[in-house]
Amino acid sequence: MPDEEILEEGIVNPVETEIQDPLLRSLVAEGAEPAGTIVPQPAPLEIPLPAEGVDCIVIGTGAGGAPLLARLAMAGLKVVALEAGPWHDPKKDFATDEKAQEYLFWNDERLSAGQDPVAFGKNNSGIGVGGSTLHYTAYTPRPQPADLHLHRDFGVGVDWPFGYDELEPYYEELEQFLGISGPTPYPWGAARRKGYPLAPLPLNGAAQLMQRGCETLGIRTSPAANAALSARYYQEGVGWREACTNRGFCQAGCSTGAKASMDVTFLPLAAAHGADIRPNSYVTEIERDASGTITGVVYEQNGEQQRLRCRHLFLCAGAVETPRLLLLNALALSSGHVGRNFMAHPGVQVFGTFAEDIRPYKGIPGALISEDTHRPKDADFAGGYLLQSIGIMPVTFAGEVARGRGFWGQRLRDYMRQYNHIAGINILGDCLPHADNFLELAEEKDARGLPKPRVHFTNHENEHRMNAHAEKLMRRIWEAAGATDIWAFQRSAHVIGTARMGLSGDDAVVDANGRAFDVPNLYICDNSVFPSALGVNPALTIMALALRTADKFLESQK
Amino acid sequence: MASSFYPEGTVRALLTTELVTEATRAALQARLNAPPYTPQFFDPATYALLRAVAARLFPQPDRPEPIELAPALDQRLLAGGSDGWRYDVMPPDREAYRLGLGGIRESAQAMFQQDFERLSPEQQDAVLQAVQDEQAPGDAWQTVPAGRFFEELLAELTDTYYAHPLAQEEIGYVGMADVPGWTRLGLNETEPREPEANR
Repeated sequence: MPDEEILEEGIVNPVETEIQDPLLRSLVAEGAEPAGTIVPQPAPLEIPLPAEGVDCIVIGTGAGGAPLLARLAMAGLKVVALEAGPWHDPKKDFATDEKAQEYLFWNDERLSAGQDPVAFGKNNSGIGVGGSTLHYTAYTPRPQPADLHLHRDFGVGVDWPFGYDELEPYYEELEQFLGISGPTPYPWGAARRKGYPLAPLPLNGAAQLMQRGCETLGIRTSPAANAALSARYYQEGVGWREACTNRGFCQAGCSTGAKASMDVTFLPLAAAHGADIRPNSYVTEIERDASGTITGVVYEQNGEQQRLRCRHLFLCAGAVETPRLLLLNALALSSGHVGRNFMAHPGVQVFGTFAEDIRPYKGIPGALISEDTHRPKDADFAGGYLLQSIGIMPVTFAGEVARGRGFWGQRLRDYMRQYNHIAGINILGDCLPHADNFLELAEEKDARGLPKPRVHFTNHENEHRMNAHAEKLMRRIWEAAGATDIWAFQRSAHVIGTARMGLSGDDAVVDANGRAFDVPNLYICDNSVFPSALGVNPALTIMALALRTADKFLESQK
Repeated sequence: MASSFYPEGTVRALLTTELVTEATRAALQARLNAPPYTPQFFDPATYALLRAVAARLFPQPDRPEPIELAPALDQRLLAGGSDGWRYDVMPPDREAYRLGLGGIRESAQAMFQQDFERLSPEQQDAVLQAVQDEQAPGDAWQTVPAGRFFEELLAELTDTYYAHPLAQEEIGYVGMADVPGWTRLGLNETEPREPEANR
């Protein structure tokens, strides 16, 4: 056997080997191993060990991994991104069809427990070069400064270890770089140094109706900020990106490149600066030396195991796969907070039927926003939420009608025939961390033999009160706009938390710079590090954190 | 009662035009021209039961040939596919469907002393309603929660039904005509390729 195939000494492999034989398992469990029993030894890993390592490995290519990758590559570091899914050619591959696009979702099964089990897959989880940004709606509101100190203001949850001013320069940079379309000046939040680089995208029927209802009730609205281009835009490392054609399929993949998913923005930029992006690379193990320093990772690529060595690891796999990898590898667990503080944005939707022709499949789904509910005067809860109009794709909508209203038979078909006359409004609200909301590894294994994640989620009083407040308000808006047959679909949207950032390794997994408290060369950068959920869509803030984490890391290396 | 407010044939006609991208056309035509299907996961009797259940969840008296909903489910379970999550209270999908369909069979016997397939449409609906309401009799419902099983079955068949081009035509959806983009997207604004409703 050639030397390089021998497993390197001192490498810890903490993934426990599953004993499949029930008799043997019971014997081992009892600790009574009779003489003569042959204990099967795990076959030694025979993975080619590359002669060279790289400076940095980034796991995941979504809103967390991609901007960071670009920043590190531009600083001249040798960087590799490992992405579990394939690299698509959207212009050729993406169909305007919900079913055909299901491959954009992270469809490995997750077990949803608790009183309000969270839907994953298309609801909030992505795979492929670009991660969830391949199917995000590209709503890119900034949080308001108060979102970062819920505890200071209300005495609940935890505050971020830094203020809004730390993120602000990155929001500005991102808005300019991605070519975000939005209103200038923006009606809510802190004053801004720069406006959006592009004018807002047009309002579709649902947005116009919400505008009408809100106007009657005296609620301010505005065209929303969205990371799809309202005019062609030149992007470094990419070239000209064309304007949005209002195809309305943002949540099933943009085929025109108008939407700023990572595959048409930060990833080509990273590649232009030498980053090596490896698709279909599913990381299973994170290896360490005796001192606990990470030495590299093992991943599966096209059915073969590979090992890659690195000096620094950046884990950017999202609020479910990031803690799952940490738990699988018994890594960074000293705080006891990995998997804890799982939060999901309250995202109740209210639909109504209108006389007008709406054709909900046209235009960006949520063209109108209101942040008047950021801190409602009559609130009986901590935090707040924003309102967004919804024009919804037909299969997604039908599924919500089936689950939410329980309609079936002729009644379902009759209701669905109103599709072109139905508009929605939804909220995105803050969520508090609760002790009984957490992620753990289940006994049940996936196809690779790894434990599936189980996520416990139950809304508590604060979320219930916020949802009730929001539902009542959205019903009033739809009544004012002339809707009939108004109903609410209860849902949780984005998932947040599970490896939170904080000031102390006693109650947080990473420090204010995104570095693990207990592993010297591990950084985490995705929605799992958010200390609080923020009452806005998370993608822009994940990207801002990614750039900031990269900058902090680069400073530390000087 | 007419099945749709929208004129028949609009989607089929659109698919032959240059208004539809190749990827979109390929996806939709595969569903439109699906060949006859032989079950590979379910045994013939359970598959027949599934078809009978689907015929009540999506009655299609307006169509000479109903949109078949059972094949997609059979194929998914055979391949071990998932939509990314499962209620923790539910057994794994293959087991859940075997148990749940067995439960429907059991409930039909308990309520009407007859196979589900041989019941009148009204009786079949009564069985399904009892399952949805978690009131259905039968031991199977001790091992698989009736309400969640019904929700999962209904949601999956609903996805399959409304992904079919003819069901999309029924609700007046023409988003698949994706080559030109949309310039008229405000209230009451339509473009020539969007059919007008007859009502």
